[in-house]
Amino acid sequence: MPSAWRLLRTFGREPGFNMGLDEALLLVSGPLPVLRFYTWNPPALSLGFFQRFADVPETSRASVVVRRPTGGGAIHHANELTFSIAVAADHPLVRGEVRASYRRIHDAIAAALADLGVRARAKGECPLLSDRASSGMCFQRSHPLDLAWNERKGVGSAQRRTRERVLHHGSIKLGPSPLDDTVARLDRADTGPAELADHLELSFARQFGIDFVADEPSAAELTHALERAAHFRSEAFVRGR
Amino acid sequence: MRPNDRKYTKTHEWVKTEGDTVLIGITDFAVQELCSGNEGDLVYCDLPEPGRMVEVGETFGEIESVKAVADLNAPVAGTVVEINVSVEEHLEILSRDPWNAGWMVRLTPKTKSFEGSELMDAAAYEAFLAAQAH
Repeated sequence: MPSAWRLLRTFGREPGFNMGLDEALLLVSGPLPVLRFYTWNPPALSLGFFQRFADVPETSRASVVVRRPTGGGAIHHANELTFSIAVAADHPLVRGEVRASYRRIHDAIAAALADLGVRARAKGECPLLSDRASSGMCFQRSHPLDLAWNERKGVGSAQRRTRERVLHHGSIKLGPSPLDDTVARLDRADTGPAELADHLELSFARQFGIDFVADEPSAAELTHALERAAHFRSEAFVRGR
Repeated sequence: MRPNDRKYTKTHEWVKTEGDTVLIGITDFAVQELCSGNEGDLVYCDLPEPGRMVEVGETFGEIESVKAVADLNAPVAGTVVEINVSVEEHLEILSRDPWNAGWMVRLTPKTKSFEGSELMDAAAYEAFLAAQAH
């Protein structure tokens, strides 16, 4: 029997709001699982929760910098689709080891990319052409679980786990991204954010037996996102480590 | 069998009485979930400042593996009196000895007794983990 998930599409919102809404899906959402697709306007650099500001010289070249509630390295959100998943901590998708949850999610993403002619595989132990020693950029630091194609990292993801819920979000590059220019991209003229979102939605539905219900952020989620947007953009939080 | 000289939470923290204070840490199960046995995957830990008061279930810190940031949740209410700086600086301690050297926070608890709480003894925690596996 298919399980019901909410499906949110919030394209073109500002960076602080994007982080605020992902946090809202983690902290103030109801019990239903959520898949959200979004883009960034304006483009922005996001830092990982614990990342040292000084370790990311690319911040000087970004017009907007935010810090995420999740870990990992910096991502330049330009010319890409970002997805986020928020589920209960005991949901089969995320239950157990963190690595296992990445494998499940990446299997669904790889299947969607395969429909678009991209052969994405877990990177394993081989170095990638996109790897850069000592880089603070997420896409230039690869892990065996990361999805890669054309010998470059193609999906940058991170999680935040609370007592009740897990947030998993990630970015897939659609084309050139000025501060992430070594990474794998989709580079298909017929595939923008909405089209890639369609493929991912279909793949997740197929892979996990999900019945997606198109929805909008709730009043509580919107209130939380708008109240917290300034925090994620604030100098104190962004430069605080 | 995990140590039976302490209590456990469903979110895989442990709490052990030591005189008038309690020590708090995370279980081997929590460490395994985060890093799948690869201690190098534990990259950062943020523990609270001494003097901070926490309530039961409140997030008192965070720990990061290369793929996730996880909240650390207080098993009991109390006031932080000491943190284990060694763990912050050498996270591999959590993988190698989560029960002794891997203690994270020392609290002066609000109440001395764990009676009536949701804390589990070692046998109940083992049963809880076994049930989770199915």
